[in-house]
Amino acid sequence: MQYVKEILVGGKSLIIGLWITLKRLFKPIVTVQYPRQKLTMTPNFRGHIEFIRFDDTKTHHCVACGLCARTCPSHVIKVQGEKTRAGDLKYGRQYYIDFSKCSLCGLCVDVCPECTLQFSKEYEYVFYHRWDTVLDIMGRLEGKR
Amino acid sequence: MAGLVGLAIIAAIVPLNVAFLVLLERKVAGHIQLRPGPMEVAPHGILQTLADAVKLLGKEMVTPLSTDKIVFFLAPIIVVAPAFVGFVPIPFSPMMQIRDVNVGILLIFSFSSITVMSILMAGWGSNNKYALIGAVRSVAQNVAYEIPLLLATMSVIIMTNTFKLGAIAQAQSSVWYIFLQPVAAIIFFIATTAETNRAPFDLVEAESELVSGFHTEYTGMRFSLFFLAEYTNMVIAAALFTVLFLGGSSGPFFPGMIWFLIKTYFLIFVVMWIRWTYPRIRFDQLMNFAWKVLIPIALLNLLITAIVLKVI
Ligand code: SF4
Ligand code: SF4
Repeated sequence: MQYVKEILVGGKSLIIGLWITLKRLFKPIVTVQYPRQKLTMTPNFRGHIEFIRFDDTKTHHCVACGLCARTCPSHVIKVQGEKTRAGDLKYGRQYYIDFSKCSLCGLCVDVCPECTLQFSKEYEYVFYHRWDTVLDIMGRLEGKR
Repeated sequence: MAGLVGLAIIAAIVPLNVAFLVLLERKVAGHIQLRPGPMEVAPHGILQTLADAVKLLGKEMVTPLSTDKIVFFLAPIIVVAPAFVGFVPIPFSPMMQIRDVNVGILLIFSFSSITVMSILMAGWGSNNKYALIGAVRSVAQNVAYEIPLLLATMSVIIMTNTFKLGAIAQAQSSVWYIFLQPVAAIIFFIATTAETNRAPFDLVEAESELVSGFHTEYTGMRFSLFFLAEYTNMVIAAALFTVLFLGGSSGPFFPGMIWFLIKTYFLIFVVMWIRWTYPRIRFDQLMNFAWKVLIPIALLNLLITAIVLKVI
């Protein structure tokens, strides 16, 4: 009796399983067809860091204080400032990061006294060479304009 | 002469059919998992398998150093032979049959056993532990499942008193045997799924444990021959089920050939559907299922059929 019952109960569960997959066969697909469809990244997404462009100066607010470079636990950031005239304010001129070493910890974003850093929403990066991961952040800001 | 023409047609149809089935399988798999399946090559990926075939043809055929060269070389050649011979006695319609062999069913079964031999040869010749385990499993599985398969077929044979496939199909013009012999039909279906090494009985190539089973070491065209044989065996199994239980080519409106193909491809779809529904079973479960469930039930079914036939 137990034997027959086992076969019947098992057979019933097999049919239930088949019914579930049959229903799914006719459901619309849920995957995103990546190169043709793209998702918008969530606000919390962390790409590499980039400068915020402010409306008052039409550019970044970096003063090349070097705090971000010093705080970064992975020594990712190189920043070089410039003064055009004596007595003028210093401002950031060159800003490079080695993205391959960045741990996306966010310390640089938090520490910046001018609040001019943010995480980008960039996720489509392919590099052929290790040195390609060195990104010119200042150049990216210029390029975007 | 007609036989030769038929064989030529088979040789042309079989690879095309396999290309279609592989695409169908990937599409069914995709949609069951709520994704579209191949989409890149041609609209809806209809030429994907063709592209794959070209790629496989272009690949180098690697022969590992410590293989048993002759056995390794012969296995993929032998595996396609039964796949081609299996089509000879199948009555696609009363007119479309290469040869109505007197012992058609036995011919198909005996040739399908050669598949097992070539799988064993492939596993042994590869000199690879995964391949060998896969091959050994295949033999154990095929021996176990051939018995219920033959017993289920016998229940039909003793009703028709003939081994001719054409005659068996014609004997069902009034009522299909799936209604008279439902148990035998289910057993036959399960056993052929196991015989063709399809999921959930695909322990022979269980990729999660055996890399790829018996064809681990095969590359390029040799690999695709195994693939070709697997899918063609599936067609033969489905065609056999159609002849034995679904009345062969009988059906209203359309010509017989169309009905035969509809039934066969529906069965193939069911096999794929099953593959993407159930997880693979464990080896001891597989053996227990054959020896403790299928064989006693098949035997009982045969006995009851014989008694009923005697009484009537
Ligand atoms: S996110 Fe962290 S690791 Fe990356 S640059 Fe900023 S401080 Fe360095
Ligand atoms: S901490 Fe801010 S202001 Fe200072 S160098 Fe870095 S980005 Fe520029």
